[in-house]
Amino acid sequence: MKSRYRAPLIAVAALVVVFPVLGLASAALAAPHTYTRTPYQTGRANAGTPNSTNVVKNASGAIVSYGNSAITYTAPSPALATLGQSLFLENCASCHGVAANGVPANGTAGAFPNLVGLGPATIDFWIESGRMPAADTRAVQANRRVPRLSQSQALAIAAWVNSLSPSYPDIPSPNLASANVSDGAALFALNCAACHTIEGDGDALAAGTFAPSLRNIPAYQVVEAIRTGPGNMPRFTGNLSDFQVADIVKFVTTEIQHPQNPGGFGLGGLGPVAEGFVGLLLGVGLLALVGFWVGERQ
Amino acid sequence: MSQTVNTKRAQREKSGPYGKLGHALNELDDRMGVAKGGRSFLDKIFPDHWSFMLGEIALYSFVVVLATGVFLTLYYVPSQALTTYTGSYLPLYGQRVTEAFASTVNLSFAVRAGLLMRQMHHWSCNIFIGAIVVHMGRVFFTGAFRKPRETNWVIGTTLLILAIVNGFLGYSLPDDLVSGTGIRIAYSIILSIPVVGTYVAFFLFGGNFPGTSILPRFFILHVLIIPLIILGLVGAHMVLLVRQKHTQFPGKGKTENNVVGTPMYPVFMAKTTGFMFVVAGATALLGAFAQINPIWQFGPYTASRISYAVQPDWYMGFLDGALRIFPSWSFHSFGHTIPLEVTIPAVIFPGILFNLVMAWPAIERKFTKDNEMHNLLDRPSNRPKRTSAGVAVAVLCSMLFIASSTDVIANFFHLSLNSVLWAMRILCIVMPVLAYPVTYRICREMQGFAGAGKRKTTNIVTRTAEGEYVATPAPVYVDDLAHEHELDALPVPTYVVDAEDAVPAGEGGVRRVPR
Repeated sequence: MKSRYRAPLIAVAALVVVFPVLGLASAALAAPHTYTRTPYQTGRANAGTPNSTNVVKNASGAIVSYGNSAITYTAPSPALATLGQSLFLENCASCHGVAANGVPANGTAGAFPNLVGLGPATIDFWIESGRMPAADTRAVQANRRVPRLSQSQALAIAAWVNSLSPSYPDIPSPNLASANVSDGAALFALNCAACHTIEGDGDALAAGTFAPSLRNIPAYQVVEAIRTGPGNMPRFTGNLSDFQVADIVKFVTTEIQHPQNPGGFGLGGLGPVAEGFVGLLLGVGLLALVGFWVGERQ
Repeated sequence: MSQTVNTKRAQREKSGPYGKLGHALNELDDRMGVAKGGRSFLDKIFPDHWSFMLGEIALYSFVVVLATGVFLTLYYVPSQALTTYTGSYLPLYGQRVTEAFASTVNLSFAVRAGLLMRQMHHWSCNIFIGAIVVHMGRVFFTGAFRKPRETNWVIGTTLLILAIVNGFLGYSLPDDLVSGTGIRIAYSIILSIPVVGTYVAFFLFGGNFPGTSILPRFFILHVLIIPLIILGLVGAHMVLLVRQKHTQFPGKGKTENNVVGTPMYPVFMAKTTGFMFVVAGATALLGAFAQINPIWQFGPYTASRISYAVQPDWYMGFLDGALRIFPSWSFHSFGHTIPLEVTIPAVIFPGILFNLVMAWPAIERKFTKDNEMHNLLDRPSNRPKRTSAGVAVAVLCSMLFIASSTDVIANFFHLSLNSVLWAMRILCIVMPVLAYPVTYRICREMQGFAGAGKRKTTNIVTRTAEGEYVATPAPVYVDDLAHEHELDALPVPTYVVDAEDAVPAGEGGVRRVPR
C-alpha cells in the first residue's frame, strides 16, 4: 500500500473503532434514567376524582357510589349465595380454591388470582364474557367466547364470592339516554384507543397479550371492564366519572359497533392494510389486466 | 338565378377542399406552424406491448389525482386554528378541532360529491404510486433503462420519490388522529438526523411539534410545489420518451435500428384515450364503493391522543416496517444522543436504497462494460444477475412492507407480537439472501431449457398403411419463428419520412420505421 494512503486510512479506522467503543462505554457508565411522575399522569395510586364531592366511599375507602344517575350499580341478591357456592365449587374451585383465595400453581404463586374482595362486577365480567371458566389455564390471555354459565349463574357466583368479603363495584347498568356520544368519542380517543385502536378492533400487545375487539360487547360489560380493569387493562376508577363512562359506552355501542360507512364498503376497519391491498390488487391489478387486453401480447 | 346549396357536395365545396376541420387546421398552421410537429406526433410509432401500458396507468391516474385534487382545494382550509365542529356527524359535534379537520369532514359530508372526490383522490394516489412501482419493475427487469435511457430512469425514480413524499403530505393534511401520528413520526425522523436534525425540524415545523404552521406549509408543498415539479418531470419523461423513441421486445421484424408498432393516430390514440377513461372509471368505481381513510371515525388529532394499529398508506409501509423491526440501538456520548434505531432505518436505509436505484444503470454499465445503445429489451431470464438483484431488493421491500403490520399479523393469527417481530427481523435478512440464488437458478434453468417461454407444439400421430404409428412434431407457430421474419407489405403512407428505408407493414395497422 502506498504510504500516502496510510495516514487517512488509519484515521478512518481509528474513528470506526473508537466511536462505538466510546458510545458503548458512555452508555454503560451513564446514570440510569430517573423518571419523576408529573402531576398530569394518573396511576392507580393517585387516581383523581373529578366529582369527588359526590363520591361515596365505604370505611375501607372503596367507592360505593359515584353519586349520579348515569350508571346504576346493583349488588347481586345475597339469596343466590348458596347456589353460587355450589356453582363455584363445580366450575372455579379447581384453580381458585374452595375459599376463592387463589392457589399457587406449581410454585408460581399468584398464577390463579385471589378473588376475595374483587367485587361482583369483576366476577360477573369474567364469567359472562366467557373467559371463565378458562378454556386453557396456561394461556397468556383468555379469549372472549360464548359463556359456559348463564347470566343468573354468573350473578350467583358473584353473590357468593361477594359474601366472603363485601366489596365494590357492583353490577353496573348504564343509563345511555342522556349520554353524549361526542364526548364519548373524545374520551375514547384519549383513554381507550391507545390499545383498542380508534376503530375498536383491538390489537396485539406485547408477549402474546392483546387488547380485545370491542365490536360485539354489551354495554354493561363495557362498564364492568372500565371499572374493574380485567387483565392488562388499567382500572379506570376515579379519573373517569360515571357520566364520562356512560359517554364512552354510548360511543362504543353506537359508533364502534355500528360504524357509519357512507363511503362504501368499510374494508373491515383495518385501515391502510386493507386499503393497500384493494388499491394494488383491484386498482393496479385490474387496470394492468385491461392494459393486457388493450395492448399487444407476444 | 338561385342555386341549390342544400346538398352535401355543395356544403363540402363551400368549406374548401380540406373540409371544415382541415380548413381550421390550415388556418392554425398558417399562424402557429403546427403541421410539421403535429404530423410527426401523429405518426409517432408506439410498440404497444401490453406491459408498456403500465406507465400509462400511472400517467392517467395522475390526471385523476390532479382533477380531483383541484376540487378538494376549493373546500379544504389549511389552518390549524381551533374551531368547534358543528356539522352533521354527531360523534364529533361540539368537539374542538382544527379548521383543517373540520373542513375535511365538512367536504366529506356537506359538499355534494365531496366524499366521492376525496375517495377518488386517495384511491387514484394509491393507484398512481402502485403503477409507478410496477412500471419501474417492467423497465428494470427488461433492461429498458440502459443507454441511451439512463436519464429517464433517474427522472422516473425521482418521480417515485416525489409521489411518495406528496402522498404522505396529502395523507397528513386532514389532521385526523391517524395522520397526526404520521406527522409526529416524520418529526421524530427529522430529529434523528445527526447534528442538523433539531435545526431542520424546527425550521420545517416553525418550532416544536406540532405548532400551528406545519399544515399550511404541507398544504403549499402538497398542492403547489411538489405537483409542479412532478408535472415538469412527467413532461421531461414524455419528451425524452418521444425523442429517444420506445424500446421494443425482440420479435419478428424488430431490430435495434427500427421501431415496430402502431402510429399515434388513429390506432394508438384510440387505445390510449380509451384506456384513460378506463383508469378514470375504475378510480370512480373504487371511490364510489370502497371507503378509504374514514377520518370521521378517527377523530381529530391532538398531541395527547394516540391510536394503536396506526399504519401509513401502503407506499410508506416499507419505511414503517424498517422502523418497527430495527433493534433499539442508540448512541450516547459527548452530551449528544444519536437514536440509531431511527436514523438507520428511516434516514440512512431509504437514502441508500434510492441512491442505489438511481445509480443502477451506471453500476450495471461498470460491471458489464457494455457501452452500446440498446433499443431491444431483454428477457429477464437472459440477464440472471440483474434479475436476481432486482428480485432480492423487491423481496427486501416486501418483507419490510409486511413488517409494517406486525401487530395486525400477531392479532389476526393469535401469535405473540414479540415472536412476529423477531420472525420479521430474521425474514428481512434471510429472504433477500435466499431470493438471489433461487432467482438466479430459475433464470439459468430457463436459459438452458430450449423453447422456454414459447408455446409447446403438438405431436401429429399418423398411422401408416402397414399399421405402424409415427409421431412427428407439428411445425412451430409462425409467431415463434426467427426474429427477422418479414411482415406483409402494406401501402406506404406518403407522409412517412425516409420512405425508401421504411418498410411499413403488417396486420392491424402495425408499421415499421427506422429510428
